[in-house]
Amino acid sequence: MTTTKEPRQPVGTTPPEGTVPLEIHDLTVAYHRKPVLWGIDLQVPPGQLVGIVGPNGAGKSTLIKAIMGLLPASSGWVKIFGKPYRKNLDRVGYMPQRESVDWDFPVSVMDVVLMGRYGHLGLFRRPGRSDREIARACLEKVKMLPFANRQIANLSGGQQQRVFLARALAQESDLYLMDEPFAGVDAATESAIITLLHELRQRGKTLLVVHHDLPTARNYFDMLLLLNMRVVAFGPTQKVFTYELLQKTYGGRLTILSEVAQAVGEKHE
Amino acid sequence: MSELIPAFDWQQVVVSPWRDDPGTFFWIALMGFLVTVTCGLVGNYLILRRMALVGDAISHSVLPGLALAFLAAYAISASQQGPDVPHEDLRKPLLMFAGALAAGILTAVLIEWIHTKSRVKQDAAIGITFSSLFAFGVILISLFASRIDLDQDCVLYGEIGYVPLELGPGDWVPPSVLRMGIVALLTVVWIVVFYKELLVSSFDPGLAASLGINATLVHYAMMCWLSVVVVSAFESVGAILVIAMLVFPGATASMLARRLPAMLLWTVLQAALSSLLGLHLSLWLDCYPAGAMAVAAAGLFVVAWVAAPREGLLATWWRRRQMALEEPSIPEPPALGDGPMNPRSD
Amino acid sequence: MPLLLMLAASPSLQAARIGDVSDTHWLEQAVRFFSFQDPSLRYALIGSILLGVTCGLLGSFIVVRKLALMGDALSHAVLPGVAIGFLWSMSKNPVAIFIGATVAGLLGALMVNLLTQTTRLKEDTALGMVLAGFFALGVCLVSMIQRLPTGTKTGIDKFLFGQAAAIGAGDVWLMSGVAVLSLLAITLFYKQFLVTSFDPGFGRVIGMPVQVFHLVLMLLLAFAVVIALQAVGVVLVSAMLITPPAAAYMLTDRLHRMLVLAALFGLLSGAIGAFLSFLGNSLPTGPCMVLAASLVFGAAFLGAPRHGVITRWWRQRSRVRRIGRENTLKSIYHVLEDRDFVGEGVSLKELAERRRETIEEARRQARELHRHDFATLQDEDHSIWLTPRGWQRAAAIVRNHRLWELYLTHSASIAADHVHEDAEKIEHVLGEDVVRQLERHLDFATRDPHGKRIPSSVDIHQAGRPAPSREDPRPTGYGGGS
Repeated sequence: MTTTKEPRQPVGTTPPEGTVPLEIHDLTVAYHRKPVLWGIDLQVPPGQLVGIVGPNGAGKSTLIKAIMGLLPASSGWVKIFGKPYRKNLDRVGYMPQRESVDWDFPVSVMDVVLMGRYGHLGLFRRPGRSDREIARACLEKVKMLPFANRQIANLSGGQQQRVFLARALAQESDLYLMDEPFAGVDAATESAIITLLHELRQRGKTLLVVHHDLPTARNYFDMLLLLNMRVVAFGPTQKVFTYELLQKTYGGRLTILSEVAQAVGEKHE
Repeated sequence: MSELIPAFDWQQVVVSPWRDDPGTFFWIALMGFLVTVTCGLVGNYLILRRMALVGDAISHSVLPGLALAFLAAYAISASQQGPDVPHEDLRKPLLMFAGALAAGILTAVLIEWIHTKSRVKQDAAIGITFSSLFAFGVILISLFASRIDLDQDCVLYGEIGYVPLELGPGDWVPPSVLRMGIVALLTVVWIVVFYKELLVSSFDPGLAASLGINATLVHYAMMCWLSVVVVSAFESVGAILVIAMLVFPGATASMLARRLPAMLLWTVLQAALSSLLGLHLSLWLDCYPAGAMAVAAAGLFVVAWVAAPREGLLATWWRRRQMALEEPSIPEPPALGDGPMNPRSD
Repeated sequence: MPLLLMLAASPSLQAARIGDVSDTHWLEQAVRFFSFQDPSLRYALIGSILLGVTCGLLGSFIVVRKLALMGDALSHAVLPGVAIGFLWSMSKNPVAIFIGATVAGLLGALMVNLLTQTTRLKEDTALGMVLAGFFALGVCLVSMIQRLPTGTKTGIDKFLFGQAAAIGAGDVWLMSGVAVLSLLAITLFYKQFLVTSFDPGFGRVIGMPVQVFHLVLMLLLAFAVVIALQAVGVVLVSAMLITPPAAAYMLTDRLHRMLVLAALFGLLSGAIGAFLSFLGNSLPTGPCMVLAASLVFGAAFLGAPRHGVITRWWRQRSRVRRIGRENTLKSIYHVLEDRDFVGEGVSLKELAERRRETIEEARRQARELHRHDFATLQDEDHSIWLTPRGWQRAAAIVRNHRLWELYLTHSASIAADHVHEDAEKIEHVLGEDVVRQLERHLDFATRDPHGKRIPSSVDIHQAGRPAPSREDPRPTGYGGGS
């Protein structure tokens, strides 16, 4: 049980101490003794847009939550920029799934985005003018500024997703963790989001994104983490998006396989 | 403090009632049993359908229906006999059932209306509905006390002590006991006749629909019957005992059995025990019998919670200790090439 | 026999009398009550206002978090604590009761959690059990206390349904303390309470001690319940936590405004309830306050400007009638177009035929148009003439319809015979800016997929009629599939 494996690294990179955005060692998360994540080892280099793919129940959301300490780990540790999560909170931005809140709550779009600034405010301070400016800028980036004063129930699914994204942006972090940002959004929203993510990557941010759609995963992300309770593979997309590895990840589910075959087949032209 | 809890005199508390005045005591005990058993049986299904609090709501909100029934009875009698109406004439059982039914249906309908037609959620809708109706009822009985044969406090704990007084000349059984007995019997009949329908619609409304069982009909029918049960019990034991008996026997039974027939039998046993124990408890402590019965039911639950053979706290603790001694508490490793263990969304 | 007497002689089962309403008019009573001049009434009024505000403020959080029934369980669970507080001091000592009740309430909340974690029982069953169990225990204790020689003077039975008149100076101090504490906590830590209620997961992510603030809220709630007990009574306290905030919830979309409104409604319900109870001398206060709060909720539920049931129904009805009017205008346009806009009057018979309805119906629709200044009736009500305003609206609707059809066939490649239904719906809701965008996108085409002419903005806004077009009826520009 106490194997000392080296964290898996993509070939050819040895980042200096303290600048690795995310390092996970032997992380195991279990629920009533049934494992959901097993022995996860990972080292994410900076400035990468990483997609996490895997079948339903593979532990993708669980991984994101465990990184932030929202779920307890049975073993292993996580380091953000060389320090435990609790010590580097302000460097992590989080975008949860849409279903995690009650959309009838009496808050406006601006209120939600401002929550992203709370981490910078401490116990007693209220959001000030600069915080509002930042919030407005983030809303502008996701094209939701006209909706700033609208109550969140009156938004479509894609708009709600964009509000969450704006909130994550308002945190002004270096590492972003996103849980299915493209779930149930229309094509326009999807392309707006991926453009934004690429822009963040250009500015040197690191992004870890749970994704559910294989064909687009190939196009969107620089690196892919194939997850099925364990790390099946992690590395640059071209190297990792192969039929064999995907089959291993998805475990022989036919519909997925044909989707995979098609996706891979497209790649081979 | 010593004044509060009288000395426990076995003779006085347990033996004397049965020996010295069995007739009186018997009727009270029987009424208690009938009430607890009926509520317990209905409550079993409420628990299964996660409607325990709707049951709580209806137990409160039948009050205005009852009050209005009394007022109507007064109006009818007064038009015939003049303003001075003796109390017996105010109790017209059919009117009372009708009032309670109306109130019960109104409650169910209002709750649905409020939370489906506005952004107010179901929990707040339940709270608002029953408290408004209950408040209205209390005000009615305060304002028209002479015409309504209830008073503020006894809506909570009833007057089960008065049951034997109802035996008029030539009556074999006190009328309230007879009524409650019929309701109890009918409850058992409904459960037996509609066993399948109740079972399926409680566990799986989708399956029920595909089998041709109208889940909405079952729901409203249950609300109606609950109102009838509540009002039959109301006068003698008040709202508290009804609420307690809707939840405790069923909850206790679910700690002791997992199959519905066994649970129902345990419920009957719990009900009998609670009512008898509670009655003697109230004799000892000199408190309201209804409250004591509820406390007894709660006590029985606590016993089951701690000591139940499979699910109780002691049993669980013992099991954990056994497992901890055998092996370290680490998760079992998944087999190679395994898919996810539970097909739930991560 | 002695047994029966023992059972039947349960203490204080006297029926309440109808309050002896004094001869003075209720308005004079109102002045006396609300002017704070009568010292004995002053405390009742101040206390009621304080509790209304506190319960309204704190209750808002449990309403938005869907914890309403937890408030109910909490308020029933405090009763044994109240009884034990009495036993401790053998009098109505506010501090003893406060401590006892708070401990009992927190114990109840803990029990609910414990039950759901250690058994298969669901939360509603756990809440019901704690509610019923603690309350029954409390009632037993109350009856046992009342039997004691000093018992009947304690007034503990008033705690069941509340009696605002029993509020004394000490109580008011305690209530003020809790009210100030709650206001302070909400003002200082507003953002923490907001995040803890809306998205606790995100709160944990940004390092907020979510559990701590949750516990603080529960604690404050327990305090609010306890201070409200005397006036409202154990059974109905939870209604003061739920009903005024629910009314506020119907009226606003922002939490900070909801808090203000909830406090206001709580204040109103408290004051009115106390007053009503004062008027009818032995009416318990609790039910009066709750009824006042429920009436406020009812008014908000039905009439709230945006979300009220009646306002929504009215808006729906108005919309349906507007669409009806626009359809009539459209038909009139079609009739005129069919005869190349010769002559301005459209006979009722033509309209009826066009819409396949009776003359009576046509006349009714014409009158409706007349009421809204879209048309006038001439020739003893046999023909309709559009006013300039009516003409503009009719032409605009037709333009919307045909523009949309063209857009669907051109840009979405939908067959020309599939687009009519969609256009029938869209024509009523296209806004002017969208129309401009469509026109630009379609290069200001003049024909729809069926060859009909699309009214241009010139056509719409001139009072006269467009010259009948002798152009080629085949579609030009982006005419759709054929």
